[in-house]
Amino acid sequence: MAVLTREAPAGVSAERNARQRRKEVKQWLAVLPYLGPSLFLFAIFVFVPLIRTVVMSTYATTPIGEMTKFVGTKWFARLASSNVYLNSLKVTVRFVLYTVPGVLALSLLLATLGNLRLRGISFFRTAFAITLAVSGATAALIFMFLYHPVIGTFNHLMELIGVGRVPWLTDARYALVSVAIPRIWLQTGFATVVLLAGMQGISDELYEAARIDGAGFWQCWKNITLPLVSPSLFFLLVVVTLNAFQTFTEVNVLTSGGPIDSTQVVVHEIYRSFYFNGQYGLASAQALILFVIILGLTILQFGVVEKRVHYT
Amino acid sequence: MKRTLSVVVSILVVASMLLTSCGAPAPTAVPPTAVPATKVPATAVPATPVPPTPVPPKEPVKIDFWFAMSGKAGETVQELVKRFNESQSEVIVTATYQGSYDDAITKLKAGLQSKDVPAVTQMYDLGTRLLIDLKVVKPVQDFIDRDKYDIGDVEPAVRNYYSVNGVLYPMPFNSSNPVLYYNKTMFKEAGLDPEKPPRTWAELTEAARKLVKKDASGKTIQYGCSFAIYGWFVEQFIAVQGGYYVNNENGRADRATAATFNGPEGVKLLEWWKSLNDEGICINLGRKTADTKKAFDSGVVAMTLDSTAGVRDRIDAAVGKFDVGVGFLPRSSEADFAKSGTIIGGAAVWILNLRPEEEQEAAWKFVQFLNTAESQAFWHINTGYYPVNAKGYNHPDDIAWRAKYPQFQVAIDQLHAAPFNNYTAGGLTGVFPEARQTVEAAVEEYFAGGITAQQALDKAAASVTQAILDYNDTVK
Repeated sequence: MAVLTREAPAGVSAERNARQRRKEVKQWLAVLPYLGPSLFLFAIFVFVPLIRTVVMSTYATTPIGEMTKFVGTKWFARLASSNVYLNSLKVTVRFVLYTVPGVLALSLLLATLGNLRLRGISFFRTAFAITLAVSGATAALIFMFLYHPVIGTFNHLMELIGVGRVPWLTDARYALVSVAIPRIWLQTGFATVVLLAGMQGISDELYEAARIDGAGFWQCWKNITLPLVSPSLFFLLVVVTLNAFQTFTEVNVLTSGGPIDSTQVVVHEIYRSFYFNGQYGLASAQALILFVIILGLTILQFGVVEKRVHYT
Repeated sequence: MKRTLSVVVSILVVASMLLTSCGAPAPTAVPPTAVPATKVPATAVPATPVPPTPVPPKEPVKIDFWFAMSGKAGETVQELVKRFNESQSEVIVTATYQGSYDDAITKLKAGLQSKDVPAVTQMYDLGTRLLIDLKVVKPVQDFIDRDKYDIGDVEPAVRNYYSVNGVLYPMPFNSSNPVLYYNKTMFKEAGLDPEKPPRTWAELTEAARKLVKKDASGKTIQYGCSFAIYGWFVEQFIAVQGGYYVNNENGRADRATAATFNGPEGVKLLEWWKSLNDEGICINLGRKTADTKKAFDSGVVAMTLDSTAGVRDRIDAAVGKFDVGVGFLPRSSEADFAKSGTIIGGAAVWILNLRPEEEQEAAWKFVQFLNTAESQAFWHINTGYYPVNAKGYNHPDDIAWRAKYPQFQVAIDQLHAAPFNNYTAGGLTGVFPEARQTVEAAVEEYFAGGITAQQALDKAAASVTQAILDYNDTVK
């Protein structure tokens, strides 16, 4: 279209064209003050560090992170053959699989319950959402006490029901699940709020119409509620997945990646390389790979899953 | 339209979450300028509200001090700083807690990048090589030589531990070694002599067998022992058998180039340790000494290993429940006692050369204060870290305290019983924190089964050797 207009001989359309362009410039000028601050912050806290990370991933560094000499792809080559890093990627994927479906299912259930019209329901809505007010570190500390092998509540309960002490955090078979549980607990509050808001936004007329047609609770839920909260669900899928990929706090507090690296998720591995081992170049390479993976996954989610989302 | 809008919104939200979760590291220190002076309003009438200043109206020098002690020890550090500030008017020390030892070294490294460092910092033994290699330290030796300061009272083993090529780098402050804590009451119940803790591994195994208790259903309700999978214990156990952690005589004869903790000493240790757990007489509670301490305090395990720095806490926690006994770190055999001994653990205070000279001088005054007899005796009594100088040890308060609580004597005896050689000097390498974690993972892997102790340690040693070589490359 634009090409056509530009080639049009008449001076009128050229004039219109110029006017349009002025209008566009004006629009941009109006938009910039709004976007400016966030662009500025993005540049400082995201883009600049990102570029620095790219550069650093190709350099050798001193123990305090000054870049010394260019080493090309040395760090990436080492990562490709590093069992530790590959393991951390696997652990992360497992962690995502442990937490994301759990959070979505649980929050869908709680939001559905919270959406019922019952006396005193707002109390329950608040209760469901309360974990929003809890930080990751606090949640991890609470669970650390619950998991304590000898004096923890969980093991006390396990003994009462005759199972015996479970080495929650000290056995490689259970540790990752044990770390995933506080994460599910924590994120479900946030997810419930988002879904509940979505459900509250659904017009009553739809339900009334359905009921007149003889639909029961389950049919209403399946055919009205679920499709109409699908945008919220999709949003949660993306956000909860990204969060799970970036898990750090719970791992750092509860297990520090152990036992035998069974909870060593990628971000904790990056942390260990960067801060603890002083391997700044290697850590940068690890971070870049994670960045590419998450970016790819998000594009995939938008490309595939979003097709099934129903926007009103 | 709505669709694109919601996509944009989702992307923004996602991006902002990325932003919040990978933000810059938390600020590490209180800026040195943010101390009282600024509180005086500029317009205020002068003289009246200001406390009387001593005759030379020189502004006191303000310095930052970072420390890495929590609990009772942390409070004691704060108290010492307060006493120092009150004792003179030339220097004001602001002490800031930096988290665990590992956190503190991490923060110092971050601080060095941004040139935001304190004048004096507490740093654990593992950081020695790194700090010296970074050339950011003002050796206290310089001050000692200049002021003819008498360092002769400081325990020779501790002095040697923090000296490299004859130069004493930090001022020794809190030194400890690992000891065996045991529940005397349980010993009595099990028919063991509560005054004779096991001295060797074989004796410990025997004692643990007697101490283990099961209920009617066969469930264990009391374990003989539990040792945290803490790399420091492995280092100590290798040293007391006369083994090196890294080559070139623990990195003391020359810069270390390879890990050697996978020798027979390490293998023997791991096999014995696992046998305790496999037999069911001891329990593995993971890496955290906090967990084994809790288990000991609550009477679930009869013996545990920990630094002598916890003596005061253990005794306090057991009041009214049981009597706490303290013994030497058990050895693989009696012969070990003659051959070698424990390594100096704990930390020292380091003066950094990046701050102005007057701050370095002020820091020197402060570290001298920490090394006085009163300070060291006070420190010992309140924590369990033994006095690093003989003056503190012979201070009347300290003597009276040890008479009352002989448990505080054990670590000192263990220190004096250790011959001085490069086994007991401990390993010196720039990647020690990483090495320690790698060893801990190896122990866990071996305990989980499917791999021999030798294989687990070989794997760990290969990884640490690689790290040492990388490190050596960057500091040469």
